[in-house]
Amino acid sequence: MTRVDRLRTRLATAGRRLRRIARIARWELGQSTSSYNRRTLAVIAVLVVVVASVGTSAVALGVASPSPNTDIYRVGVADNSPYTAVIDDHASLTARPPDRTALATGEIDLLIGGVRQPTAGPGPRSPTLLVEPADGEKGDAALTAFRSAVQSYNDRAMALEPNRTAAYPVVVELQYIPQSTLGPAAPTNAGNLTGDDTPGDDADSDDGTDTDANDTDTNGTAGNVDGGPASGSGDNTTATDNTDSDAPPVADGGGGSLLDRALFGGGTSGSPAEIQPPFPFGSLLLAFLFLVPMNFVIQSYGSSVLNERISRRGELLLVAPVERLDIVAGKTLPYAAIAVATTAIIAAAIGGSLLSVAAVVPIAMTFLAATFLGAMFARSFKELTFVTITITVFLTSYVFIPSIFTNVTPIALISPLTLVVMELQGEAVTLGSYLFSTGPFYTSTAVLFLLGTGVYREEDMFSQKPVPLKFLDALDARLSGIRSVGVLTALFLPFVFIAELLAIAVLFVLPIEVSIPLILVVIAAVEEVAKSVHVFAGFESDRFDRSVRTALLLGIASGIGFFVAEKFTVVAQLVGLPNLQLGEAALQPAGIGITPSTSLLLLAGPLVLHTVTTGVAALGARKNLWWYLVSLVAATVIHAAYNFGVVTLYG
Amino acid sequence: MIEVSGLRKTYGDFAAVVDSKFEIDRGEIFGVVGPNGAGKTTTLKMLAGLIEPTAGTATVAGYDAGDPEMRHQLGFLPEESPLYEDMTARSYLRFFADLYDVPHEVARDRIESTLDRLDLEYRDRRLGDVSKGMKRKVAIARSLVNDPDVLIYDEPASGLDPLTTNSVLEFTEELREDDKTVIFSAHNLYHVESVCDRVVIMNEGRIIARGSVADIRDQYGDTTYHVYSDTALDGTDPTADGRHRAVVETMAEVEAIQAAATDAGGSVTDIRTDEPSLESIFLELTGQQMPSPRTATDTEPASEPTTDQHEVEDAP
Repeated sequence: MTRVDRLRTRLATAGRRLRRIARIARWELGQSTSSYNRRTLAVIAVLVVVVASVGTSAVALGVASPSPNTDIYRVGVADNSPYTAVIDDHASLTARPPDRTALATGEIDLLIGGVRQPTAGPGPRSPTLLVEPADGEKGDAALTAFRSAVQSYNDRAMALEPNRTAAYPVVVELQYIPQSTLGPAAPTNAGNLTGDDTPGDDADSDDGTDTDANDTDTNGTAGNVDGGPASGSGDNTTATDNTDSDAPPVADGGGGSLLDRALFGGGTSGSPAEIQPPFPFGSLLLAFLFLVPMNFVIQSYGSSVLNERISRRGELLLVAPVERLDIVAGKTLPYAAIAVATTAIIAAAIGGSLLSVAAVVPIAMTFLAATFLGAMFARSFKELTFVTITITVFLTSYVFIPSIFTNVTPIALISPLTLVVMELQGEAVTLGSYLFSTGPFYTSTAVLFLLGTGVYREEDMFSQKPVPLKFLDALDARLSGIRSVGVLTALFLPFVFIAELLAIAVLFVLPIEVSIPLILVVIAAVEEVAKSVHVFAGFESDRFDRSVRTALLLGIASGIGFFVAEKFTVVAQLVGLPNLQLGEAALQPAGIGITPSTSLLLLAGPLVLHTVTTGVAALGARKNLWWYLVSLVAATVIHAAYNFGVVTLYG
Repeated sequence: MIEVSGLRKTYGDFAAVVDSKFEIDRGEIFGVVGPNGAGKTTTLKMLAGLIEPTAGTATVAGYDAGDPEMRHQLGFLPEESPLYEDMTARSYLRFFADLYDVPHEVARDRIESTLDRLDLEYRDRRLGDVSKGMKRKVAIARSLVNDPDVLIYDEPASGLDPLTTNSVLEFTEELREDDKTVIFSAHNLYHVESVCDRVVIMNEGRIIARGSVADIRDQYGDTTYHVYSDTALDGTDPTADGRHRAVVETMAEVEAIQAAATDAGGSVTDIRTDEPSLESIFLELTGQQMPSPRTATDTEPASEPTTDQHEVEDAP
């Protein structure tokens, strides 16, 4: 057979496989949609339309929440008073004719009098509004509500003021500096800014003015309002237009858009009163928007996979001339397509680009892959529910919590959602950052599908083996010889990476003296498990003979596999994670970030370490579970001691 | 067409199949019988490539049983073959025809002719809404959608009513005429006896008897002769109809009774041969009770021998 013939044969085979995958995908889509009958779909559609219509209309009309506080305080105020507009604008206040008798009889709760001008003697130096509350708690509450109404009214009026300098004599601009670049001494310009932002300073200055303002709320505001109460109409969009003038940038500057303010809280420039501490509302919203639909997709996907197993329908596909991988691909394709389409729609809706889609899609794929493996392990729908909830909680936490710290620490980059936040904030995302964030997700997806496909076979699909045994089967299915042990170890690296980064993310809040030793032990344990658990699976399935020689060979193969794959963590350097002290602690024992003079020694060090410790674990694994656990602890202790040594010597 | 040698499957310490060895010719219907847990289904699934043998080899239509190409030559009907209930018979069969790369035109004609042969109605009705017998027929049709040379049927008539059972058994026999090779497993030995050319009996993972039903009968069964005379003789018992019956195991004993009856002035009026059923041989070999009861259509009078009746004139 010539090379051309071989190529032709391969292409024909590939074509047939693709056709079968497409056929299975089409069938799977039909199956999953037919599980919802037309009436159910119609009811869901009607409900969605009704909720959306009512919600939209309510928001548009401003009646989204008919408040029980409406018109509860009756305020006596003259029709020509500038405060009539204030009262009309406030939901809990309602205007009544100013009548002192009514105040005495309780028919009104508050009486707005005239404005007393400042006098030359002691007393207020600004005009003072005379307000008289009714006796009792309701009168006091009415006064408080009125103060709040005046404050809000004035804020709106200031926002409309064309003369920005007059409206905001003091403007501050905040710049959040990542924790890792923040040295012991406050550096340069940024240091001053963050220094200003320290809670103590802020609280002191703000409290001072606020107190004054409160004291003179009913005083000072009168003067301001007198200056230009106008009608108070207009909205915030006018304020945005006003920024075109040469006024100070209230709603301008990086991260200062209305969307950013809505998503990421507070804004970073404007008057002191406008600036609030950043609240991770954006990350929360993104997590909600992107991840919630995925939960529906994985529920449907997991049910489909498990249903094939419980009903034994999948057996007929297994006996058809279709590769297992093709069956899995065909069954997964519709759900993957739905996840990608949903992600794209949401990204477009929030103003994200293709980058946002590319950042979230690997999360969706990991959701599907984890669900697939979970559905292959679960023995009932009850177990599947547990699995999917676990996946949802873990992955949601993994992608959501770090993204809260987008502007604080580079650790946030372990979550691809951080890339979305960065994009929406107008920050550049480098290829290194993208690979760092999404790489573990892509590779984890591949490994999870690989493991799941390994047990997509008669003996595992339709049996009621306990989950741990199925897990061992899944590992064993990917073993063929000693070399395969090393390959599988290398494939586990994404999980090791995820577990270690998660540990760093969780532990970095602790004092450095505690967190570094802790992280070194956790990392040692994670790596030892990753290097030896499949060796144990191979022994348990009698794939390997239980001799000492075989155990040591397996340990060496696994150690080498881990050592080679570990070098890929060099990606971490691209985003500067090792600059963080914890990052150094985590990654430098692997030989990363070491000076050339020591690199040779430390290149050999990890290699010896990994082969020795895995050899120790393998010696226990060849016997039974108990001995495996004992040897695993021993290997972890050796590994942790090595880590301490490296950090002490070179840290 | 099928060659099995040293086939073995173990799960830890448990041996499900131990060193199975047999060959099946083209066009043969081959029965695999045995009690629950005997290793029948495991053997069939190893032949279908669903289960990887621990040791030994199995070739089907010239391919190793694990070779995906072999599946083009195979039709498999598992004991439980739940269908996709939201599909119709036609769409279900077309789906599998696509997976087997059967061209659309060929698939359409083949599906219709198979459904005709199986006398299947309601071809466009949701499979969830049709009877169990209909579902089983659809499953059988699916096993033929790729026109395979080899068919593996595991309990094809399990749980079906007598009428459908007969229909399925007749259809299985017709497959022999199509030159198909069929491996047929059943709990009901009368089904096996009526359909299969050769049989293996399995127990605890091992083949304990093999050959045609007649061979097995000869090898393991004891034929008895019921000799009826109009005269009381030594060793005879009176029957309800006034005759006298002796039960003997050899023809020499029969001849001796004939001679004795003649000497006594009487005659032998009837000789009946009682051949052992596969079930009785099976029970004797395995020392177990068959799990499934006989259905109405299988029922034959067990107490009274009915086969090979001889009038006295024909008696030797």
